[in-house]
Amino acid sequence: MKTENKIPIAASCVIMGSGQIMYKRIGKGLLYLLVLAAFVFYMIKWGAADLKGFVTLGEVEGDPWLGIEGDDSVIMLLRGTLALMITAAFAIFYYNNIKDVIQTRKDVLAGKEPDGFIRSILRYADRKFYVIALFLPVAGVLLFNVLPIVFMTLIAFTDYGGDIVPPRLVDWVGFDNFAKIARLSKLKATFGKILGWNILWAVLSTALNYFGGLFLALLLNKKCVKGKTFWRAFPIIAYAVPGFITLLGFKFMFSYGGPINYYITRAGGNAIGFLDVDAAWTARLIGLLVNAWISVPTSMLLATGMLSNMNQELYEAAALDGAGKWKQFVKLTLPFIIFSTTPTLITSFVGNFNNFGVFYFLRGGMYLDGYFLASDTDLLINWLYNLSIDNNYYSIGAAISLIIFLITSVFSLMTYVRSDAFKKEDTYR
Amino acid sequence: MKRKHFTFKSTFEVVITYIILIAVAFVFFFPVFWLILASFSKTGSIYDFKGFFPSELSLDTFKTLFTDTAMYDYPSWLRNTLIVSGLSCVLSTVLVILTAYTMSRFRFKMRKSLMKATLVLSMFPSFMGMTAVYLIMVNFGMINNLFSLVLIYSAGAPMGYLVQKGYFDTISNSIYEAAKIDGASNPRVFTRITLPLSKPIIVYTALTSFAWPWSDFILPNMLLKNRDLWTVAVGLTHMGETEFARFAAGAVFIAVPIVILYFSLSRFLIAGVSDGAVKG
Repeated sequence: MKTENKIPIAASCVIMGSGQIMYKRIGKGLLYLLVLAAFVFYMIKWGAADLKGFVTLGEVEGDPWLGIEGDDSVIMLLRGTLALMITAAFAIFYYNNIKDVIQTRKDVLAGKEPDGFIRSILRYADRKFYVIALFLPVAGVLLFNVLPIVFMTLIAFTDYGGDIVPPRLVDWVGFDNFAKIARLSKLKATFGKILGWNILWAVLSTALNYFGGLFLALLLNKKCVKGKTFWRAFPIIAYAVPGFITLLGFKFMFSYGGPINYYITRAGGNAIGFLDVDAAWTARLIGLLVNAWISVPTSMLLATGMLSNMNQELYEAAALDGAGKWKQFVKLTLPFIIFSTTPTLITSFVGNFNNFGVFYFLRGGMYLDGYFLASDTDLLINWLYNLSIDNNYYSIGAAISLIIFLITSVFSLMTYVRSDAFKKEDTYR
Repeated sequence: MKRKHFTFKSTFEVVITYIILIAVAFVFFFPVFWLILASFSKTGSIYDFKGFFPSELSLDTFKTLFTDTAMYDYPSWLRNTLIVSGLSCVLSTVLVILTAYTMSRFRFKMRKSLMKATLVLSMFPSFMGMTAVYLIMVNFGMINNLFSLVLIYSAGAPMGYLVQKGYFDTISNSIYEAAKIDGASNPRVFTRITLPLSKPIIVYTALTSFAWPWSDFILPNMLLKNRDLWTVAVGLTHMGETEFARFAAGAVFIAVPIVILYFSLSRFLIAGVSDGAVKG
């Protein structure tokens, strides 16, 4: 009796869903069976070949002269990655199938009647609402975020790029690209210089935007300010104008024909190339200020929201104790604001570290001597763009992406774990 | 004596405050004002401007913007932008709200790992995967297609669910408990209770997910190669100094709707930004 009962479990281990069918859970069993059939079909038709291609990255080099249609390594890598993900998804289904058949057996032994197919679907939609709700979002993110990232991570370990693009065959090269960045002098020098400026930029711009926004919020929050909505409207305009319009507008403003140079030349000076290749610090400063123009309103809105959440009694108590305005600010407002904004502060630091738009639109595509395909205002992300999208250095670009990822994630984790928001989650509740 | 000192000090403070306020307003408004006036300029090239403002005003630039489509086909760009932004707005909002609500309301085994995974994913440089997305799109023959843009925008949208989750976290649990006791199923609770309560955050989400494709440049620039498929952002970027007035007109024309949207919805905006951030 007991051994006979285990047959469906064994059956489900071999053929997904068959055990469920034996227990008369026909609908569910058929669904599992369908998943299995789809997977087997996929594997036979494409999957197996794709997985093999993932390892070899192509064996036949194409030659248009000889009419040989070779393997396209990049597509093979892409399809191989997809095949790996599909296999992983199948493994999850398989695991669930076994769990399910064991549960079904228990139900049957306990004498429970199976729900009808429709009813069991409805029950499932209720009990496992999160699975249904998250299915599409997760699938979308997997396909358009995870797959590309995994793919680019893999690219970092190949020699794809430069001369080696299809129809030439791409190969796995291990850590060569990282070694190149550390060893090749032109790459190494450029990387070092850009990284230094990038960190400086991230710190400066985050601080500027953050305190600028806080300052504006406090200013607008003062009791003596009449018509707050009116005054707040101006930063909100700046917030609402699409970023690229702002950036291009400022580029025109500082261009040779732009108004600022017009006044300079009329006053008898020579036109200044504010954003020229050799502009260095003027261009950097303009970038910093323009970025502040774009981002300060956001942090103002944020700080305004925070301030309205603050407990006013604290201030009254502090005033009674004889604390001056400055002291109130330092002891009450600032800790509260910093506490509640640490997560956003991290996001905005990472956002600024990877701020592509500012220097792409203001200067874009300039290559300076002493830099390898970059200029002195470029951040790592701009360099990445120049390398991989404008100049086809895909594998080096991918390796740099990974380094950027390491820097930003280590930084964020460290700040987050050490921050008060993490350590004392309930302080202000 | 003491009182007088006090009033003098506070008057001084008020004056300083207003001076700063006026300066701030000027800093934020002047560039916008400059672009608006430039769009009404009679001459097109930035070199014909004497200083900041055009010498003669007219509506010609707006006329040429919509009629002279040989080089710069603004009407098509506008149509493309509207299609992409509108569709992505609807799809992204649905996906983001579903994700955020689920993450906020339910406790399930994969929840923590999913949250950590999105955090890690968001640490990757934003367009690290862009080359790969491009290759995927080429592989599936979806280059030069507005709908592939919609697909990419909406598929990536759930990654930014945190603000919305913060909002849902503030909805009291007792409402849900009451509904449960009345026997409402989860899908029913979502449509009948959560959605009506979440108007501010839905508006906020819709607005931001409309504004993002509306002003994005990188993705359309990479995926749309035909001039007539360009979005406004791509098209405007290709206008040089001699087309300055036309650039300004085009910019004003797409900035105005979004600014009006932001203003009429600013109530929701502030709520969305601050609620989401406090809870993180």
